[in-house]
Amino acid sequence: MTTPAITVRQLRKTYSYGRRAPGWRGILSSETVTLDAVAGVDFEVARGERVAIIGPNGAGKSTTLKMLSGVLEPTGGSAEVLGLTPWRARQALAYRIGVVFGQRSQLWAELPARDSFRLLRRVYDQEAASFERRLGELTERFGLAEILNQPVGRMSLGQRMRCEITASLLHGPELLFLDEPTIGLDVTAKAAIRDFVRDHARDHGQTVLLTSHDTRDIELVCERVIVVNRGRIVVDQPTDQLRKRFLGRKVITLQSAGAAIAVDLPGVTTRPSQAHTTILEVDTRQVRVEQVIAAALAAGGIEDVTIEDPPMEEVIHDIYAAVG
Amino acid sequence: MRLVRLYFEEVAAAIRCAFADRANFAIQVGGMLLNNGVFLALWWMFFAGFRSVGGWGLADMALMLGLMMTLFGLCGVLLGGYRDLAATILRGEIDAILTQPTGVLPRLLARESSATAWGDIVGGLVVLTLFAHLGWRDLPAVALALVCGMAVFASAGIAFASLAFWAAGARSFARDLTDFTLLFSSYPGSIYRGAVKVVAFTVLPAGFVVMLPVKLVRAPGWESAGLVVLGAALYMALACGLFDLGLRRYRRGASSAG
Repeated sequence: MTTPAITVRQLRKTYSYGRRAPGWRGILSSETVTLDAVAGVDFEVARGERVAIIGPNGAGKSTTLKMLSGVLEPTGGSAEVLGLTPWRARQALAYRIGVVFGQRSQLWAELPARDSFRLLRRVYDQEAASFERRLGELTERFGLAEILNQPVGRMSLGQRMRCEITASLLHGPELLFLDEPTIGLDVTAKAAIRDFVRDHARDHGQTVLLTSHDTRDIELVCERVIVVNRGRIVVDQPTDQLRKRFLGRKVITLQSAGAAIAVDLPGVTTRPSQAHTTILEVDTRQVRVEQVIAAALAAGGIEDVTIEDPPMEEVIHDIYAAVG
Repeated sequence: MRLVRLYFEEVAAAIRCAFADRANFAIQVGGMLLNNGVFLALWWMFFAGFRSVGGWGLADMALMLGLMMTLFGLCGVLLGGYRDLAATILRGEIDAILTQPTGVLPRLLARESSATAWGDIVGGLVVLTLFAHLGWRDLPAVALALVCGMAVFASAGIAFASLAFWAAGARSFARDLTDFTLLFSSYPGSIYRGAVKVVAFTVLPAGFVVMLPVKLVRAPGWESAGLVVLGAALYMALACGLFDLGLRRYRRGASSAG
């Protein structure tokens, strides 16, 4: 039997901070409050598996990722990543993992991306030939040729994120940690990143652990989902099962010049909204999106249509409601 | 050796960043040269009237200011990350470096290089060459004074900035302490007495940044060289120790930073 890439047992992280009393009293006194960011989680990730950790803000996703990548030490419990304890063997582990924090850059803003990549070659003590080969591969697969010599600071957010992910893959890591990799990106950029991460991991047998607020990241990249809330795991199951239970919804917003548009189809619910706007919640297990759009167009008077996934908060709310 | 090479490659990248906007670079360097020129002119006018301060003449003052400007400039170019290290800590920018297989502090120091610092280096070297009455034989002592002064000044900056691991308000405090050290290092050492002298050799180590180095250049000897080197080693150990303690606190999640 192969050893899992990640094994986590009763992992805990508690933060404590001083909470001040309201008003003038707060100047003189404060009480120490403890917060269980991660409250004893257990899970395993097999080698080559792609797993998403999702949850609302403050659920403990990023803290878990930071502990598993060796940035933070836990308050209790144990973890093994590629056979190493991350917070004790930080530097040894760093050669074997790639990490992208969506809101923190590892590239030099004023320099061309190629220069940052070359510096990273030194950081990871990589041989020139292997570096050039990997850079060539990643440049081609990620379509970076045109932006490689452009200063990172002048790139769009999507281009920058493609470079960040490339930077994290150049040394050939076995395991990739992605913390909110598509945050703030437009639809096209998100799609490019999802396709790349999924295909690259599949082709190289790479393990991926990502956190995200976007249900599409999870559906399109990961095979398994761990849902956390207040530092605890509430659901751990394959994406297919989760999709059937909770991700089979779309929200369609119709803008019209006249009155609200009525669509009478099974699986379609109309949400309360403002004048000239109709918001439809569609259960895609009962009716296809194009059927709903066709019915709406038939009603006439539509000026604009938006199709969205329900916000992660709603999906998570549904999950919490279902699991009690 | 690999780490030294990595360090200087990162410094080279940081210098290229500082040069990236050439007009901005020229303005900043020009501004700093002007600033230093005015400062020196004021001292020149002062010494035209008073001849000496506590036994220090214009040449001694030029030596001190020249050393100070040069080492301050070299710190800004080669160790530029020390300048706003507290903000880097508070913004949690350490996280990305912690996921890479290198030491954290050298990476933080090498990642920035100041454009204005080139103005200080040029100004400092001009002052040392033209006004400090130095000869070729003084060169080894000047080099040792510069290296040790840089080590103490940067160490003080690192130690002050490391307070950010304990208190969020440490950013401005660290800057104030660094500015005070610079200020203390800009006046003749002979004017400091009593408690002020104690401060100048401890908390705000101007004594080790320029005062002892000036003595070393004027009266070279094993004793003064030993003191200068020992002071630099002690401050470096203190700064690295304090940063390491803070980093452990950060990784335990007990820090206000991140």
